[in-house]
Amino acid sequence: MRTYEVFLKPDGRDEFRHAGSIEAPNDEVALVMARENYARRAEGSRLWLVDRARIVVGDEDFVAPNADKPHRHNDGARVAERRRRLREDGK
Amino acid sequence: MTVLSESAIEYLLAFADDEHLMGQRYTEWIGVAPFLEEDLALASIGQDELGHAAMLYAIVAGDDDSAIDRLALLRDADDYRSSWLVEAEFPGWEHTLVRHWLYDAAEELRWELVSGSTVPGLAAAAERAGREESYHRRHADALVDALLGVPESAERLQNALTEVLPLALGLFEAVDGEAMAISEGVATAPFESRRSLWQARVAARFNGTDLGRLPAPDQDRRRRRSPDFAPLMARMREVYNLDPSAVW
Repeated sequence: MRTYEVFLKPDGRDEFRHAGSIEAPNDEVALVMARENYARRAEGSRLWLVDRARIVVGDEDFVAPNADKPHRHNDGARVAERRRRLREDGK
Repeated sequence: MTVLSESAIEYLLAFADDEHLMGQRYTEWIGVAPFLEEDLALASIGQDELGHAAMLYAIVAGDDDSAIDRLALLRDADDYRSSWLVEAEFPGWEHTLVRHWLYDAAEELRWELVSGSTVPGLAAAAERAGREESYHRRHADALVDALLGVPESAERLQNALTEVLPLALGLFEAVDGEAMAISEGVATAPFESRRSLWQARVAARFNGTDLGRLPAPDQDRRRRRSPDFAPLMARMREVYNLDPSAVW
């Protein structure tokens, strides 16, 4: 059996969104099952199924080390504070 | 509402009864199908078939719900025109899957015969059902295709096919009024005329199955019920009988 991640696109300009997953022995069975399990009440008008084995994964060890680098978060607050001070000094 | 001839009514009821009982048979798998996804899929397909039955009953009875209920649930057993294929109580899911494949392959051809019908509403019903049926066939075929590739499953499917096929032949048996209904424009040709095409598709799917020598069930122009009909109808009436005057 394979596991597929199911993405559903609602009508209109909304993007495809993750809807859940489904197990199936092949693509065609996955598709006919996903249609009834995720879209039988017209929750969307198009389906994407992605075999989980084919997903390119960046896992936590690879991605998370960037979480503790606050110096990379420049929200502009210190620059704004400095400019405000200069403006007030100039009056 | 257009007044339909007796022949037209017979023809439509045979179709409606098949759809009705077929839908009911699918719903019996709710909660006990072999896996959750199939549980939902079968129930959903069953709901489609019940919807087709409702459209056909409404063509005969008009939009009066209690008249539709009377047709669907309250006729005498002898007045039903269902085929034995849809009445049959099968022991296993493999039988259900085989029946699903065989029935929907035939149903496609049956709707095509009324797609240009002169009966008001019937051509529109055929168009709607046709869209749903293409999914039903794809569902049945995907599962059969996957399972035929597994030796144990293939053997179980083949055994089920041996039991189900003779009954499936009875699906093509006409009611007495069919020829008259065709001359009135209800349908373009006898259902039986599509049997060889259906048989070719069955043989292609199930690898050379020989349908030539199978005996069709003795349905007496669809006037005789099989032994499985009575208990099925009793279950179908169970909720209705709690309060026949209830409005949903």
